[in-house]
This record gives sequence, C-alpha cells and structure tokens, in this order.
Amino acid sequence: MTARKSGSRLETELERCRSECQWDKIPELVRQLSAKLISNDDLGELLLGECKLQTYLKENPIKQGASPRGPRPKLVEVRKHLTAALDRGNLKADYLQEASLLMAKLCYVEGEYRDALGHYSRVNMDDMQLVGAPVYRLSMIAEAYATKGLCLEKVPAVSPSLSNKNTSSPMSNRNTVDREQEIITCYEKSGDIALLYLQEAEKVCLVIFFLMFSPICALPSLSDLELGYFLETGLQRAHVIHFKNGNLTRGVGRFREILRAVENRTTQSLRMTIARQLAEILLRGMCEQSYWSPLEDPPTVSPLDDPTRQGQAHSKNYSLSRRPRVYSGENLFCPQENTEEALLLLLISESMANRDAVLSRIPEHNNDRIISLQSASVVYDLLTIALGRRGQYEMLSECLERAMKFAFEEFHLWYQLALSLMAAGKSARAVKVLKECIRLKPDEPTIPLLAVKLCIGPLHWLDEGECFAKMVIDMGEKAVEFRAKGYLAIGLVYSLKATDASLRSTQEEYQRKALGAFQRSLAQSLSPTDHLAAFYLALQLAVSRQIPEALGYVRQALQLQGDDVHSLHLLALLLSAQKHYHDALNIIEMALSEYPENFNLLYTKVKLESMCRGPEEALLTCKHMLQIWKSFYNLTNPSDSGRGSSLLDRAIADRRQLNAMTLPDFSDPETGSVHATSIAASRVEQALSEVASSLQSSAPKQGPMHPWMTLAQIWLHAAEVYTSMSKPAEATACTQEAANLFPTSHNVLYMRGQIAELRGNLDEAKRWYEEALSINPTHVKTMQRLGLILHQLQRYSLSEKVLRDAVQVNSTAHDVWNSLGEVLQAQGNAAAATECFLTALELEASSPILPFTIIPRAL
Amino acid sequence: MLAMDQGVVEEWLSEFKTLPDSAVSNYASSLKDKGALVPALYKVIRENYSDLLEPVCHQLFEFYRSGEPQLQRFTLQFLPELLWSLLSVSAARDPHTSGCIEALLLGIYNLEIVDKDGQSKVLSFTVPSLSKPSVYHEPSAIGSIALTEGALANHGLSRVVYSGPHLQRETFTAQNRFEVLTFLLLCYNAALSYMTSTSLQSLCQLSSRVCICGYPRQHLRRYKGISARLTVTSDFLVQLITGIHYALCNGEVELGSKALDDVLYRAQLELFPEALLVGNAIKSSLHGAALKSNNKEGARSIQVEITPTSSRISRNAVTSLSIRGHRWKRHDAVDLGSPDELMDISEVDEGVWPGSAGPDMTPPTITISNSVTTLNLGAKAMKKCRFGGRSSKDKDKDVGLPTTGRAASDNTELSVKRLTLTSSQSVPKAGALTSLTRTASAVFSRSFEQVASGSAPPSSNHTASEAGRYSCSLQEDGMGYLSPAPNHTQRSPSISVHLGTDL
Repeated sequence: MTARKSGSRLETELERCRSECQWDKIPELVRQLSAKLISNDDLGELLLGECKLQTYLKENPIKQGASPRGPRPKLVEVRKHLTAALDRGNLKADYLQEASLLMAKLCYVEGEYRDALGHYSRVNMDDMQLVGAPVYRLSMIAEAYATKGLCLEKVPAVSPSLSNKNTSSPMSNRNTVDREQEIITCYEKSGDIALLYLQEAEKVCLVIFFLMFSPICALPSLSDLELGYFLETGLQRAHVIHFKNGNLTRGVGRFREILRAVENRTTQSLRMTIARQLAEILLRGMCEQSYWSPLEDPPTVSPLDDPTRQGQAHSKNYSLSRRPRVYSGENLFCPQENTEEALLLLLISESMANRDAVLSRIPEHNNDRIISLQSASVVYDLLTIALGRRGQYEMLSECLERAMKFAFEEFHLWYQLALSLMAAGKSARAVKVLKECIRLKPDEPTIPLLAVKLCIGPLHWLDEGECFAKMVIDMGEKAVEFRAKGYLAIGLVYSLKATDASLRSTQEEYQRKALGAFQRSLAQSLSPTDHLAAFYLALQLAVSRQIPEALGYVRQALQLQGDDVHSLHLLALLLSAQKHYHDALNIIEMALSEYPENFNLLYTKVKLESMCRGPEEALLTCKHMLQIWKSFYNLTNPSDSGRGSSLLDRAIADRRQLNAMTLPDFSDPETGSVHATSIAASRVEQALSEVASSLQSSAPKQGPMHPWMTLAQIWLHAAEVYTSMSKPAEATACTQEAANLFPTSHNVLYMRGQIAELRGNLDEAKRWYEEALSINPTHVKTMQRLGLILHQLQRYSLSEKVLRDAVQVNSTAHDVWNSLGEVLQAQGNAAAATECFLTALELEASSPILPFTIIPRAL
Repeated sequence: MLAMDQGVVEEWLSEFKTLPDSAVSNYASSLKDKGALVPALYKVIRENYSDLLEPVCHQLFEFYRSGEPQLQRFTLQFLPELLWSLLSVSAARDPHTSGCIEALLLGIYNLEIVDKDGQSKVLSFTVPSLSKPSVYHEPSAIGSIALTEGALANHGLSRVVYSGPHLQRETFTAQNRFEVLTFLLLCYNAALSYMTSTSLQSLCQLSSRVCICGYPRQHLRRYKGISARLTVTSDFLVQLITGIHYALCNGEVELGSKALDDVLYRAQLELFPEALLVGNAIKSSLHGAALKSNNKEGARSIQVEITPTSSRISRNAVTSLSIRGHRWKRHDAVDLGSPDELMDISEVDEGVWPGSAGPDMTPPTITISNSVTTLNLGAKAMKKCRFGGRSSKDKDKDVGLPTTGRAASDNTELSVKRLTLTSSQSVPKAGALTSLTRTASAVFSRSFEQVASGSAPPSSNHTASEAGRYSCSLQEDGMGYLSPAPNHTQRSPSISVHLGTDL
C-alpha cells in the first residue's frame, strides 16, 4: 500500500519536474524509481535521455537562423538512453511515443533530418491525446510539430533534383504547394499547442502557488519558463512563411489567432511584438475596403495577396482535439474597421511598452533603456499615424503624454507631443513643450515659428511671441527659407501690439516697427511668390491710413494669390476708405462668389449695401446670412451619440455656459480687432472652448461657441440696419435674439442704447451705454455715443473726458474727434475744437466702412 | 495622342452604353484585361484639351454611379490625376477648361456624402478602450491603465465622427475646394489596396507638385508645369500622407519618400501641426525598416521575422513595472511613518492633504490632488472630495509594526526620491467611499492590483466587502519636468490618485 502510494507520489513529482523543466532533479528521482520496480528501468532510460538532451539544449541553445551541426559527443549518451528505452519495447504506449519524439528531436539536433522524419512517421502525432495530457507532454507535442516542420523545410520535397522551385512541370508544382501546406500546418499546429501548453503551465503554477500560500515573490519562477528554440519557431514560423509568400490574408489570420488566445506571462513579449506587427500591416498594407473583421471569414479573393499565388487555401484546414483558450464573454469588443483594430492593438502594445520603460539612468542600463525607448517609440509613431488619420488629436496628445517617461532628451517624442497638443488646441501647453523642443534642437526654425503661431493666434501672448520670432531671425544663414517667415511673424507681433497699445506714442512706435518688419519680410522672401508679406504690409499701411500705398501692395498680393480672401477683403475696405463704395461692393461680391460662406465678407457687404443700395438690400443679405448659418451648422446627424452629433447640438449642450461670457468685439468674428480688454473678456470663452474641445475631439478649429457668436453677430447687424431705417421695434426684436444668446455682451448693450436713443429716450440710452462700458471699458463706439449723450445733457466736462478716453484708445476714429470738437466748441474752446474738426475731417477722408482690423492677423 | 489610343478609348466609350444591366459585373471584372485602356485614359486626362475628355469624364461618372464596386474603383484610380488636372488649371486661373473634370469630381463627392436613403452620411469609428474587454485582451491583464483625465472622461467605448456630415456642392469655390478634395481623397484612401501602382505613382506626383509649386524646392525637383503657389489645407495634406504611406510600403519607395519629404517641407512652411505630426511619425517609423524597392511586381515590403520572445530588457533594470513594487514598500512605510514626514511629502506634492493628520481623530481622506489649479470640468467636480471615516495610522500600528525596521530605511530613500505619492490613507468604511470608489472601481476595477492581505485583524468598523488595497497610479508626475512659466498657470492633466482600503 505504502509502496504504491509512494510510487504514485514519485510519478507526480516526476511529472511536476518535467513540466517545470527542473531537469537537474530527474536523475535522483530516476534512482528512486528504479529502486521500486525493475520494469521502471525503461522509463528511467527515457527520463535520463530526456533530461540530458534538454540540459544540453539549455547549455547550447540553438539560435534562430542557425542550423544544427552534426553529431555531438555529448549527445552520444542521450542516444544510448533513448535507444535502450525504445528497443526493449516494454514501455507503455504513451511513453513509447514520448521516446520516439525525443529520438526525433535528437536526430534534428544532430542534423539528421531524414531520420527525424522517419521517427515522426512512426508516431501518429495527430492521434496523440491533447485532452487530459500532462503539461509536459503538450510541450513535447508542440515541439515535435515544430521540429517536423523544420525537418520538412530542410528535406527537399520529392527528390533533390526536382525540388528546384523553377521547375515548371505542373506535377512538381502541385507537390511543392502541397509540401508547403504541410509545413505550414505543422507550424500552425505547433503554435496552437504551444499556446495551450503555456496556458496550462501557468494554470498549474498558479494552483501550486495558491496551495503553498507562498509570498508574491515566489511567482517569478513562472516567468523563468522560457520558450526555447522549438516553441518559438512553432509559434512564429507559420506567419513568417505566409508573409514571405505574399499571402497577407493568412498571415493576418494567423496573427489574430495567436492574439486571441488568452495571454500568459510567457507570451506577453510575443504578443507585444505581434500586436505591433499586425497594427503595422493594418496601417500600411490595408484599407477600409480590403478589411475584414477578426470574427469574419477572410474574403476569398483579396487584393492583399500576391496574385501569382492565388488559389492557396485561405483558411486553416486542420483541427485539433483541444485548442488554446481564447478571450470570450459577452459584449466583447470586436473591431469593425482597420483603424479600430490597429488602435486596439497599439493600445495593448502601448500598455506593455509603457510597463517596460526603463527608468534608471545609470550607464549599465543604457542598452536596456534604448531598447525600451525604441520599442515604445515605434508604437507611439504608429498610434500617431492611426489617430492622425482619424483626426483624433485630443486622444493622441493624451497618449503621447504617457510617452513622456521615455522622453528625457528625446527630441522626437517632445516634438510629437508639442505638435499633438497644438493640433488638439491645447495651445498653452503646446508652447511650453515647444520651449523644451527648442532647447533640444536650437537650430530648427520651424519650432519657434510654431510657437509664434500659437502666441499670435489663440494665446495672444505677444511678448513671448516676440521672443520666439527673434529666435528665428537670429538663426541667420541656417534658416534662410524661414527668415522671411520670421520677419513676418515679428511684424504681426508688433502690429498686434500696436492695436493693443493705449498710448499713442507706443502705438506709433509699434506700427513703425511692424511696417519695417513686413518690408524686410518682403525683401527677404527668396521667391517672389509669397503673397503674405505683401498682404500684411498692405494691411499695416492701411491701419496707419496710408491708403494709396496700401492699395499698391494689396494689388501685388492679389497678383500672387488671386483668390486670397483676406486680400480681397482688404482691397474692398481700401476702396471704401476712398469712398468708392460701389467698387468696393463689386469686389466683395466677387470675393463672395469664391467664398460664399465667409461671414466676415458678408458683414462688410451688409454695411456697403445699406450705404449704396439702401437698407432693404442689406436686410436681404442678413436674411441670407441666417440661411447660410442654418445650413452650415444645422446639419443633423442620425447617429446621435453625444459626441458625434451636429455642431449645433454640441453647442446647445454648452449653452448654459453662455451666460458667463461676452461676445467679443462687434466686428471681429474670428481673430480680428483684438484689443487688450476685449481679450480679457473673451479669455473666459477661450478657457471654456478649450474644455469643450477636449470633450469632442473632431471639432472644427474654433470652439463650439463659434456658431453662436456668428449668429448673435448676424442679429446685431440686422438690428443696426433696422436702426438706420428708424425702425426701433424690429431692431429691438433682433437685439433680443442676440441677447438671448449673449445677455452680457457689450455689443448687445450698445445696440440697446442705440435703440433707446432712436426712441428719444436719452436716460435709458445713457444707462445702457454705461452698462456696456462696465463690461468693456474700451469700447470706442459706446464711448462716442455716451459722450454725445452727455453733451446733449450739457454735462460737457464729463463728455469731454469720455471722448478723450475714446480717442486715447483709438486715435483714428473720426466720429469721436468730431464729437470731441463739438463738446469743445460748446465749452467755448474754439481753437481746440477747430483742431479736432480738422483731424476728424482728415481721418474721415481715409476711413473705411469697417475697421481694417476686422481682417484677422495670423501666421 | 496616338490614333491607337484614341481607338481604344472610343471603343471603351461605346461598349458600356450597350451593356445590359445583368452583364455589368462581368464587364467590370473584364476591364482588368484591357491593357492599353488605362494608359490611354491617363493620356486623355493629362491632355486637358482633348475632345475625348468630356465623354471620358462622363463615362467615368457613369461607372461610379453604377454602384458596382469594381467599376467605382476603376474610376477612383484616376482620382489623383484628375485632382492634379483640376488644381493646375485653377492655379493657372483658366476656369473654363476643366468643367467636365469639376463635374465628375463633384458628382462623385455628392454621391459619396449620402447613404442609400439619401441621408447625409457620417463616417464614424469606435475608439477602443482598454477598460473594455475585447477579442484581444482582458482589462485585468493590462496592469496599469493610464488613468488620465481623458480616460476618466470617456471611459468605455465611444463612437467618434471623423468625417461628415457634408453639404451637397454644386460648384467648386475657393472656399469649398479643399473640403471636397479632402473628402474625395478619403474615399480614395479607403480603396487603397485596390489601386494599381500607376495610380499610386500618380498620387505621389500629385502630392509633390501640390506642395512644392511656387516654392524654392520646385527648382530642385525640376518640375516646370506651373509656378503659382497652390493653397492647401492641413487636412488635405494629412489625407495625401495617408496615401503616400501606403505607396511607400507597397513598392513605390522612391517616389513615395520624395513625396513625403515634399509634403513635410510644405507643412513646415505652412506651420501645419497635423500634417507634421503624421508625416514625422511615418518617417520615424520607417526609419528602421529597410524598404525594399520595387523589385518584383507588387512586392510588398511587409516583412516579419522570428523574434526572440523573452524580454530583451535585463531583469535588474528599474522599469515602470518594477518600480510599482518599490512603491508599495514605501507606501507601507509612509503609513507607519511619523506625521511630520507625512507632511513633508504632502508639501512636496502641492496636493490637497488631509491637513492636521493627528493620529486619533482625523478622518481618512481620499484626496485627488492635481498639481496645478484648473482642471477639466469632470475632474473639477471630483476635486477635493473627502469622505468621513477613521484615520489609518492608529489602525496600522496594531497591524504592521514588525516591518518598522525596513520601513525606516525606506523612508529615508523616500525623502530623497520624491515619489508621486499624493495621499495614502486607509478607508475602513466601504460605505464611506460612496460614489468615487464606485465609479473608480467600476471603470478600473480590473486595473487595480489586488494585494492579498489576509493578516488584518477583523474589526467591527470594517464592513468593507473587498479586502485588499487598490491603487490606481495615474500619469506619474505629469509634466513635472517642464519649468512652468510663472505668468501662465496652465491646467495640467496630471492627477495622482491613491486609494487605499486596508483591512
């Protein structure tokens, strides 16, 4: 009784050692075994042979790509053991099979491929039981299939003379195809069984681990389980052959089979590689139309496969009694599109690459660090490609931020992060990351230019912008192609600073600097084909009221770029400044034929029309604008899932925030006419839109507020037209529409004041104007109206004060000068009044219908 | 144009008209065999003034409208050439010569932007998430899901629209031109695998020309077609790059890399972040992979090798994975450390710390701290949520004193290394954890590491159902390496959350 029990315990112990590859313990166990029963001797031989062979292979691993060479003296003993075990024939059938497989493996190691195949043919491997087999035997069968595949690849198909692939006889061709198929089947079976083996091995280890209550640090013994040459080959050779043969469909299928098997510690690294490779194939070699989902059957004819090899089987043609466990359950996510699958795979690889990030910076780990960096940056590059294609820059910037633990002194990662932040609209952070990029690569002119672009545009950080632009200019010879751009950038910075400046002297100083920079930019342009320099020079000249010169440059810009919307707009405004209103209107209409949905042009059109064709026409244009707005933003979307709904719906979700913000200056739909205070007022809006754009990443450039601002401005323009027609009721209705959207906008309040004035209600008007000014203290038009009312109320000195402030803010507003003159006259200061009137007269002669600054200035 | 070519084209023009509906699909597959036809059609498109251009465009549109995929692809293969034809004519400001090409392109566009029922088509895709099980993974196996703001905001799968809805267009204007062309390229890219190498070459040429015309590089490339600059948009360039990427990897190495360089050159000059981003990524990802040039017909440069499966990173290197183990040891140490030390850590982290951490009466607090002030709305709501309960320290005293020696040594290490520990507190009451834990565990439960802690003594307070300790380690340190400019406080999405439920 005890003997039998100890015997079975011995067997269990043997099985465990074989499963865990503890070959050093085998000889001792065999000694105990032989002591029990004589009939165990054969089993002993088998075990000794196995343990010696495995130990040899552990000490002399076979490298991928290297062929085993000839008989080894150390293996003589192995052969002796195995021959002994096989010859006596006393072994149980199972053990006999094992002995044959081991013998075949030995033959392979010694380079005797035919002998190996002979041994395999004696064992019917397909009949070997996978269900209920001990773990070590699974590994043995997997190795056997791999080895058989290797042997078949080495041994020529029929006879050496016929194996040549160029033989054209259909018979031998048929043979090669069959042979190839047999080889692949061997490898695929080997791979499947290897996966099964690894899953089972881990299960067993976990059971042992839990039974023993061992501390967590005992687990690593598991990950010591290495695959070895044969299993590695079995797992990977099949798809390598598929791709070598140009059979993408089956290669992809094989990849997916491996990836769908539940992972374990040993396969992690393999999975990471395969996931990345599959993602590469999905992104580089497939398109939406040639894609099929992992749970579908592959198409029978696919453009992905080498057409010369059509006719090969597209799916596997074997079955196993037991297959590796695959991920299963309800609601499993299964990709339906190549980008989806690539993304999923890349996210999985990313999480693994991230885990392997080598953090220590000591020199001994330099190599490890480079390896981990490389494998991660490949993944991040592919993620960038996949997400960039789909415009998901918000998500991309989050992914790349996770790459930052690799990024120390790595320019590429920093730069990509900066670009992704910029594309995602996170401007401020982008500028900070760009600073680091500049530090890493001080010679690259694009980086500071990108930073200026952000500083001038969404951020309005003019001082920083100036620094960055100077960097580009100082690069000198290194950045010839970009120097013109550098001057353009600094010119824009000065131009914007001039608009912001409250002191007249500073204003003029900046204007002078801006003009100088634009002129240099124009001169620096290596090619005469750059219209931007000429255009901005024209714009700057226009702002400083040098109308004829500006006209010259804008014509130059238009010659270079005939359909540039801003140049056309500027031309129209310049013509209006010369009081050629009809010409200006013609130009605007021409521009509108190319840019029918440009609201900026349409606002100017409204103004011009009420001037030349009467308010009725202008009202029609307002109506037209509302129609355009509706068709533009009100496209409804059937798949309403919050994220993907129409622009309007997205914006409606944010309407509750509207109360908290103001409409930017009346006449600056996009970026135009930025004034320090109106910027402060729209800072809130910026912050909110950055938040909102992070919620829906496929949003257009402007924040979700943009459509609403446009709508409010259309209503306000209509209100203005109605006021000019002396129709206070209609004007009130229009203003109310705008007020529903932006109740605290100074423009709305200003318009209400105008309507009150129209109704002769001076006190009410005054109250509205004062409210408008409390929101935007530098709104010149309100100041002018308020000054006028104060004048009418005979509060001269206060009126003078308000008007002087207005002139301080904008020294080119002729109506303010005029009002100031009137106030001064009423106070009896005739000399000063005359001067004011003269200034007003002079300015009026060069005054455009809308301020030049409504034209956006951006890089 | 040779008479022979003309003959081929004319024959092609006539035969489709007489075709019965039932024969269309056979006809479609037979088109491949007409070797001379495609080059002849290219010639027709290139020679803008050919008499055949109008009927050819019309026929190509008929093909597209037939709905037969093979016929549609036949038309699509000419798309790059048609685009170039359109753009070069519009650059030359000669608006009347390309009327039929415009009509063809607008026709395809208007067909593609609607679905079968005539509704505006919206192209969307699902953003996969590691927190949802998929055919390739199980969330529990992914050790640490990076718990970023974004992950919190849109955990789970979300569908995202990447194109559409689009408006019907009757004419090309300067304003809508690139919107339409970008969408057409999107359609082309969806069928890339079916495109011939001639078509891919034509795409590469189109990309190069669009990007360099009118710029100094034009002389370098010795292209003398037009010299006016063409306006482009960033999205258009991104679509071009997608096509170029495919061409690069599928035989057109030389033309493809030239085209990629030219697009990147233009993107630099235009300061387009999107195009630069994708272009740089492609360049860098192909850097290592040696591309085989067009050696055999249709040779794909997708190659894989057998790679060693064991980790290539040596065991003793400190990795993100291994450091997590380290942190746990220190984490224990913190729990045992004196209050003074705790305060030090909290100050270092600028986080919201439970304040006077007196050992007996302070309620344990879950603190989500963010190093800088403003956060996304979602995170804002979660900021500073505190929960009632008992302090951890006094409890830990009776639990883990034996390890004090090791803890002390770790503590010194801690003060040197400045970990991202924000708060580490025990929350004995599961009920007290209410919403936050529930949300967190619902989303990330799989990601938490559960460390068995069977040694905790039972206590009446401890009604917690889940024993163990959860950790979600977010974005370590965020952008801590950046020296923030003092003037501009930026929201930084780095959060550190440490929930500890010790039993």
